[in-house]
Amino acid sequence: MSSKKTKDSEWGLSFGEMVSHEFVKNRLNVVCLIFIVFLFAATILAPLLANDKPYMIRIDGEAQFPLFKSLTPSDYSVFLAAAVGIFQLFLIRRNRRTVEPSLRSGVLWHQIAVNGVVVLVGCILIFIFVPRRLDATGYKEMAASGEASEAIFAPIPYGYARTDLASREQTPSREHWLGTDDVGSDVLCRLIHGSRISLSVGFVAVGISSIIGIFVGAILGYFGGKTDFIGMRIVEIMMAIPTFFLIITIVAFFPRSLLNIMVIIGITSWTGNARFIRAEFFKLRNQDFVHAAVSLGLPLRSILFRHMLPNGIAPVLVNATFGIAGAIFIEAALSFLGFGVAPPTPSWGQMLSLGVGVTGRFLWWLTLFPGLAIFFSVLAYNLVGEGLRDAIDPRLRKSI
Amino acid sequence: MSRNGSLLSLEGLSVSFFTDDGVARAVQDVSFSIKKGKTFALVGESGCGKSVTALAIMRLIPEPAGKIVGGRIKFRGRRLLELKEKQMQSVRGNRIAMIFQEPMTSLNPVYTVGEQIVEAIRLHQRKNESEAWADAIEQLRRVGITEPQQRVHEYPHQMSGGMRQRVMIAMAVSCNPSLLIADEPTTALDVTIQAQILNLLDELQKQKQMSILLITHDLGVVAERADDVAVMYASRIVETADSKLLFAEPLHPYTRGLLESLPRLGFEGRRLHTISGTVPDPLHFPSGCKFHPRCPKGCKDKRCRGVEPELREVSKGRRVACWYAAGYESEEEHK
Repeated sequence: MSSKKTKDSEWGLSFGEMVSHEFVKNRLNVVCLIFIVFLFAATILAPLLANDKPYMIRIDGEAQFPLFKSLTPSDYSVFLAAAVGIFQLFLIRRNRRTVEPSLRSGVLWHQIAVNGVVVLVGCILIFIFVPRRLDATGYKEMAASGEASEAIFAPIPYGYARTDLASREQTPSREHWLGTDDVGSDVLCRLIHGSRISLSVGFVAVGISSIIGIFVGAILGYFGGKTDFIGMRIVEIMMAIPTFFLIITIVAFFPRSLLNIMVIIGITSWTGNARFIRAEFFKLRNQDFVHAAVSLGLPLRSILFRHMLPNGIAPVLVNATFGIAGAIFIEAALSFLGFGVAPPTPSWGQMLSLGVGVTGRFLWWLTLFPGLAIFFSVLAYNLVGEGLRDAIDPRLRKSI
Repeated sequence: MSRNGSLLSLEGLSVSFFTDDGVARAVQDVSFSIKKGKTFALVGESGCGKSVTALAIMRLIPEPAGKIVGGRIKFRGRRLLELKEKQMQSVRGNRIAMIFQEPMTSLNPVYTVGEQIVEAIRLHQRKNESEAWADAIEQLRRVGITEPQQRVHEYPHQMSGGMRQRVMIAMAVSCNPSLLIADEPTTALDVTIQAQILNLLDELQKQKQMSILLITHDLGVVAERADDVAVMYASRIVETADSKLLFAEPLHPYTRGLLESLPRLGFEGRRLHTISGTVPDPLHFPSGCKFHPRCPKGCKDKRCRGVEPELREVSKGRRVACWYAAGYESEEEHK
C-alpha cells in the first residue's frame, strides 16, 4: 500500500486498546497498577536493593565490585529477561505507529521470536560463564575499620540469609528500618526478597490453573452432551474436595520446594476457570460468527482458541487476578503452618509466623509488615481485577 | 450426478431434533437438486426447516440434539454425509460457502475484517501473508466496498450492516466456491441495501459461475433472481418448479396463499391477504396433510386429514404435494 499513516487513531482501535483506554479512566486502577509495577521492580531488583555486599569497594586503591560478582546466574537471567521484556513493550508501542496493521501480527511474532532466542541464548551463556561464588568476606568490617578507603553499599546493606545473634528481635530503628527477626535478619531485606517467592507462586500457580481450566472448559463447552456431562461430574468431584487440606496433605508427602507448591496450587484450582470458560463457550457456540468460522472450514483448533477464546476470556482474566491474590494467600498460609519454603529462603507467610517469638513474646513488627505487604498486594490485584472486569464489560459498571 | 448438470442433489433428507419435550422433525424427506451456475430458491415461513436444510448440507446441525436421520446429499458426485469430519473441512469454505442472516453478529468482533478474510484465504489457498492481504483487498473491492485499503484494517463494529454483509460475502466467495448458500442474506438489512446485496450476488454468480442456494421468506426476491424454486411448509417441500411456472400458476394452496399475500402496485387501499392460522409446532404436527388446518380451500375431507400427500410430479419439472392439485390424482391412476 502506498499511503503512509502516522497516527494510530486512523487505523482504528483494537479490542485490547479499547479495554486499556477504559481501564485507565479509573484513577484507582492506575494507582493499583503503579503499585504492582513497583512491586515487580522491587522483586526483580531485590538483590540490588538489599545486599550485604557493597556495589563498589576500594581496597589498597584498587576498586572491586563484590555485589555484582556475588549475584547468581539466575539473578542475571532474571535481569536479562526483564530488560528484554521491557524492550519488547516499547517495540509494541512503536509498532503501533510505524507498522502497517496487516503486517503487525507477523512483525510482532518475529520480534517475540528474536527476543525469545536472545533471552534463551543469554541465559545459557550466563549459566555457563557466570561462576557461582561464595563470598564470605566481611566487607562491612573492612569499611568500618578503614581498611577500605571507599565503599558504596546497597540501600539496605543486609543479606536475607544473614544471622546476627547480637541484634535479634530488635524493634524498628534507624539501622534496621523494619526491625530484625529471631535470628537477627533485617526484616525489610527479607520482605523484599520474600516478594520473589510470593509473586512467582502467584503467577505460576495461576498460569497453570488458567491453562488447564481454559483447555478443559473449552472442550466441555464446545462439545457439550455426554462429554460435558462426564467432564462436569469430574470437575464437581474436584470442587468437593477441600483444596487447602488437599494441598497440606500433598505438601506433607512431597519435599518442601517452591516448584511443588506452585504446581500443587495450580492443579487444584483450575475448576473455577473451567466452569467460566465452559459457560462462555456454551453461549458462544451458537453465535453466528462461530457458525461462520465453521462454515469456512477452519480447523477446530482455530475455532476454539482463535475465534471463541478471545471472546470468552474476560472472566478468566478477571479470575486470574483474584487467583494471584488467592495463591499468595495460600502460600502465606502454608508457610505460616510450616509447610512452605524452607528457611533461610524468605516468604511473607513464613515471616508472619515468626511474629510469635520463641519466648512467647508478641513481636508486632514481624507480623505487621509482612501482613501489610500481603494485604496491599492482594488488594491491588483484586482492584485491578475488578477494574479489568469493568473495562471489558462496560455494561456491568453502568448497571451498578 | 453431473449427467443432468446438477451440482448438488438432496435425496430424502430428514433431520430431527431430540429434545426433552420430544422429537422435533425439522426436515422430512426433502429432495431437490441445484444445477451448475443456477440459483435455487428455498422459500417458506420461519421455522419451516429451510435453514436446517442448509445447515445439513454443510453438516453443521448442532449435535448431539440434532441429527440427520436419513437421506443422501450428493455434491459433485461425492456423498457429503459419508465424509469424515476432516474431509468435510476441506469442502466447507472451499467448495461450499455460506452467508448468514445476521451480518451484525456473523463477523468476529475481536479481529479486523482483513484478518478474518486472510485466514480463510490462507486456509484453502497456497498464498503467503502479503499475497493473501492483497487478495483480501481485491475481494473487498469486488464486493463494492470503497477504499478497501483502509477498510480492510477496520473492525466489524466500525462498519454498517450492509458493509458487514458485503464483507461476509467477500469472505465466502474468496476461495471461489462452486456453491454459495445464502441463508436469508437480506432479511436484516434496509430495503435499499437489500437490492444492492442481491445484485452483488447476481454479479458474482456470473463472474464465478457459482450456483446459489438462496434461502428466503421473501417471494419478491425469488421471482426476480431464482431459476428454480421449492416451497417448504412444516418440514416438507410442498411444491417445486421452475420459478416462472411457479409464479404464473401456483398449484399448492399454500404457494397460492403466499403469492396472494404479496403487496402489489396498484392494489391500494385493500387489506393484504393473509393465510389464517399459524405455523404448526414441529413437536406436534397435524395429521395427514400438514397444511389442512389452514387450507383456504376448506379441503378438510378424510383424506386431507388422514393421509399425507407425497411430493409427486404432475407435469414436466413440476412437483407438488396436494390431493387437490391439478393432475395429482390422475398421475396416480396412470401408475
